[in-house]
Amino acid sequence: MSDIIVVTSGKGGVGKTTTAANLGIGLANLQKKVVMVDTDIGLRNLDVVLGLENRIVYNLVDVIEGRCRLKQALIRDKRQKELYLLPSAQTRDKTAVTPEQMRKLCDELRTQFDYVLLDCPAGIEQGFFNAIAGADRAVVVTTPEVSSIRDADRIIGILESSGLSDVFLIINRIRPDMVRRGEMMSVEDVEEILAVPLIGVIPDDEQVVVATNQGEPVTGAGSLAGRAYQNISRRILGEEVPYLDLTAKRGLFRRIFKK
Amino acid sequence: MFHERKTFSGMVARERLTSLLNAERLACSPRNMQMLKNDLTMTINRYLPAEESAITIQIDYAPAVMTIKVPIQNTEESHAETI
Repeated sequence: MSDIIVVTSGKGGVGKTTTAANLGIGLANLQKKVVMVDTDIGLRNLDVVLGLENRIVYNLVDVIEGRCRLKQALIRDKRQKELYLLPSAQTRDKTAVTPEQMRKLCDELRTQFDYVLLDCPAGIEQGFFNAIAGADRAVVVTTPEVSSIRDADRIIGILESSGLSDVFLIINRIRPDMVRRGEMMSVEDVEEILAVPLIGVIPDDEQVVVATNQGEPVTGAGSLAGRAYQNISRRILGEEVPYLDLTAKRGLFRRIFKK
Repeated sequence: MFHERKTFSGMVARERLTSLLNAERLACSPRNMQMLKNDLTMTINRYLPAEESAITIQIDYAPAVMTIKVPIQNTEESHAETI
């Protein structure tokens, strides 16, 4: 039974695309057949984060408008056995597709993949509603800052009133040193404010920039952020994975007790 | 100057967000809150002396309860004045 997950946030720039890409890779590492779908029409980015920008021939809009078959638009990531990208269109805009068309596309993807990850655009206009139309559940990404938490709260409300109540939280770009000094809200603060179940915490990590520069995944053992993404992928599969101790230099494991 | 600062910005952020989000979830904007405070002050002052800046309004979300605290100014002083 396949799972369609939309990665959203409301606020732009908090790490949706990076998260969608790295969770896709994380799930493929765990032997799942995964497709990552860039639903941000007009401002595509999932391709460039994955280093696949030179391989795009057809895109999401071509498939929906019937100019090509789904198979022709899917780009297979050569670094992984079963990881695919369905890129967005760069020269159209969000009115090019409707939620109903996205739902039909998701139905088709469901028959071919274990996991479908939908990278949602920022905002709450049609692009957002297109992205959530076919989703089973949502991962909301936020940073521990006032404006992104406020937007995340609004998004959670809109998701719930749109019928998507299976919502999980990722807190991205946490800086344990600032939390310790009292100058950044903690994981517990953010969890309490947003009141949805936490699925992952990712530290602010230079390696994310380095990896994106090269179009490489950060997921993996090489960095704290990479390990955090891999752990989230495992939690998506239902495994109970202890949260990394982000304060220790070597990343020792400790359990955070959640409610 | 930084050494003297007693409130940490993380705590300030958390408090601001909590009030803001509770108000927004109950569809009562900060501006409405201010207008509510003004109206309350005016009404209370018709019967008892109260100062607007000392009134605090707290909104809890679950269960949804609004708590309003109104410090009443010393009535003996004003009684003395009227004499």
